[in-house]
Amino acid sequence: METIKEIYNYRHMIYSLVRRDLRGRYKASVLGFLWTFINPLLQLVVYTIVFSVILKSGIDKYYLFLFVALVPWIFFQASISGGSSSIIAQQDLVKKIYFPREVIPISYVTSCFVNMLFSFIIIFIVVALSGVKLNFIGVLCLPIIMIVEYIMAIGFALIASAVTVYFRDLEHILGIVTMAWMYLTPIMYPIDMVPENLRKVFAINPMVPIINAYRDVLYYGQIPHLNTLLNGFVLGIISLLVGVLVFGKLKRHFAEEL
Amino acid sequence: MSVISIKDIEKKFKVYYDKGQTFKERLLFRNRNHYEERLVLKGISFQVEKGQAIGLIGENGSGKSTLLKLMTRIMYPDKGSIEIKGRVSSLIELGAGFHPDMSGRENIYTNASIFGLTKKEVDSRIKDIIEFSELEEFIDNPVRTYSSGMYMRLAFSVAINVDADILLIDEILAVGDVNFQAKCFNKLREIKSKGTTIVIVSHSLGQIEQICDRTIWIQDGLIKAEGSPRTIHPEYMDFMGQKRQEIIDRQESKKEKRAEQKNETENNHNSVETISLKESKKAVISESKRWGNGKARISKIETFGVDDKTKKNVFKTGESIKLRVDYIVKEKIIGTVFGIAVYRSDGLHCYGVNTKIDKLNEVDIINDGTFEILLENVNLLPGEYIFDIAIECGDGIPVDYYREAHTFQIYSTTNDVGIVRIQHKWSY
Repeated sequence: METIKEIYNYRHMIYSLVRRDLRGRYKASVLGFLWTFINPLLQLVVYTIVFSVILKSGIDKYYLFLFVALVPWIFFQASISGGSSSIIAQQDLVKKIYFPREVIPISYVTSCFVNMLFSFIIIFIVVALSGVKLNFIGVLCLPIIMIVEYIMAIGFALIASAVTVYFRDLEHILGIVTMAWMYLTPIMYPIDMVPENLRKVFAINPMVPIINAYRDVLYYGQIPHLNTLLNGFVLGIISLLVGVLVFGKLKRHFAEEL
Repeated sequence: MSVISIKDIEKKFKVYYDKGQTFKERLLFRNRNHYEERLVLKGISFQVEKGQAIGLIGENGSGKSTLLKLMTRIMYPDKGSIEIKGRVSSLIELGAGFHPDMSGRENIYTNASIFGLTKKEVDSRIKDIIEFSELEEFIDNPVRTYSSGMYMRLAFSVAINVDADILLIDEILAVGDVNFQAKCFNKLREIKSKGTTIVIVSHSLGQIEQICDRTIWIQDGLIKAEGSPRTIHPEYMDFMGQKRQEIIDRQESKKEKRAEQKNETENNHNSVETISLKESKKAVISESKRWGNGKARISKIETFGVDDKTKKNVFKTGESIKLRVDYIVKEKIIGTVFGIAVYRSDGLHCYGVNTKIDKLNEVDIINDGTFEILLENVNLLPGEYIFDIAIECGDGIPVDYYREAHTFQIYSTTNDVGIVRIQHKWSY
């Protein structure tokens, strides 16, 4: 509780770090902030060419099917793999100044989250052009899904960043793990394609309900199942709690280990 | 009311001999993971009253910065407790989180937010911050266009305007030019008079004396002494002076040993043939720092304190120094003149004299011997000094002129400035 109150008191630091990160990211490039939009757009072009022209999947509007799941996944993946080195990247701050250490991974995840929000502008344009009819209540559920994913990403980023301080290999291990994780999440294929005996593995994967919920809203134009939402919410809260606990334990010796 | 109370804190650091950072290294070289636990703080207790300013002094590695880090909660003690009441601001790192591409104004917001200020709090202070930094014209330019002095001025201005109840400062008052430093000190005094508690870690005793009411001297992780700066600082300076003497002695003895070993090996290896070479070498001295006709050669140089018994190289301002020089004579020298010169390490020529200037008798020397000069009440101010020593013939031909022959140090317990202390009396 104490920690949460303290993090709240440092909310402006989170805001500043996110702003600095977003503004600093494209500062020196010619197209600048436009890259935030160009990036997902080019990805979409590549996937469309590959999966609609070369590797035909047989799924209707496969580019949209993939895109609405891929953008949230990229946010999640970046939060974990990039978040794992976030404390080390800010070691000058950690070694010299007191502030609740949680602020650093939270800021990192938040800046990835804001990037995802910008990508969603592209998603909405693509959805509108594709002719999918969105369900109004479904769209209202979207912010909830996003917040649940955000909470979950923070939980995982907290664990990854804290453990990486003591065990630097984790950063590289996570590169492989997140890749495997992506294929174990129904991003490139629908969940129904998963064989019955593998379903158990998917049941414990916290990203499955999240991705399914996004797809329900943006691809199928439905209201996501309450079960899916609840499932994602519970898993999100659990990962956040575990993250806060692990981080709280490990953060005391950050300054000495860095 | 004490706002900081520290009780019996201990802090250990693990010092790895050869730490494996990665999994592979840890697994493969498991027995390399040996580490030594070093106790940096061995039980320190003290309290600081509200509105007091204290200075922490001590040699490098004594644990004073660690203590400050424990107080800021960057690290946590292994034993003991630290209680701090009120908002803490630490001036340990200036310009934290500055982004070079963002303007001075934007960086003020970022930097202040890292100190825990909300946007509103910064809004109410931004005018003071900019005014204090004297960067009004440049405040909307990107920070990368700033000079390092401007950068530090901006950073300091933010840190000092945080309005904390407790201000922890580590060695950062060397900011900007003389005028800005004076301004910083005035600001610190102003903050103190408003009731802010201040803890400063510094090697500059002068700075501490200007602000602090109390000094705590930390030595090897324990409090060695505490009290008013006026009583503690002279003790500390004496201690450090002695310490430096010990270090110099140790280095000298090492050097001598190395030289002896070298000579021995040389002697062993070089047989009869080289002896003649050596002889001829002795005749004319020509090394980069030494010249002369080689008829005599300075063989040993030592400095002593007044009591004439203890050899030492570190003296206090105002102390007398006795310089003793042994020489070996190869050939008879007629009309010998002995001379010395004192240079400061930066090359300033402080003093020079010889027996001819002092109108002493010129002597003829045939046998090895020694000459001494007693320099009374050397009032040179702290620093490193070097003797040049020379033996000349009467007509000014150098026999052995030895440049930078011997180094000595001066320390002082007072803070007067310049080259030498001029004896003085005040009256007003």
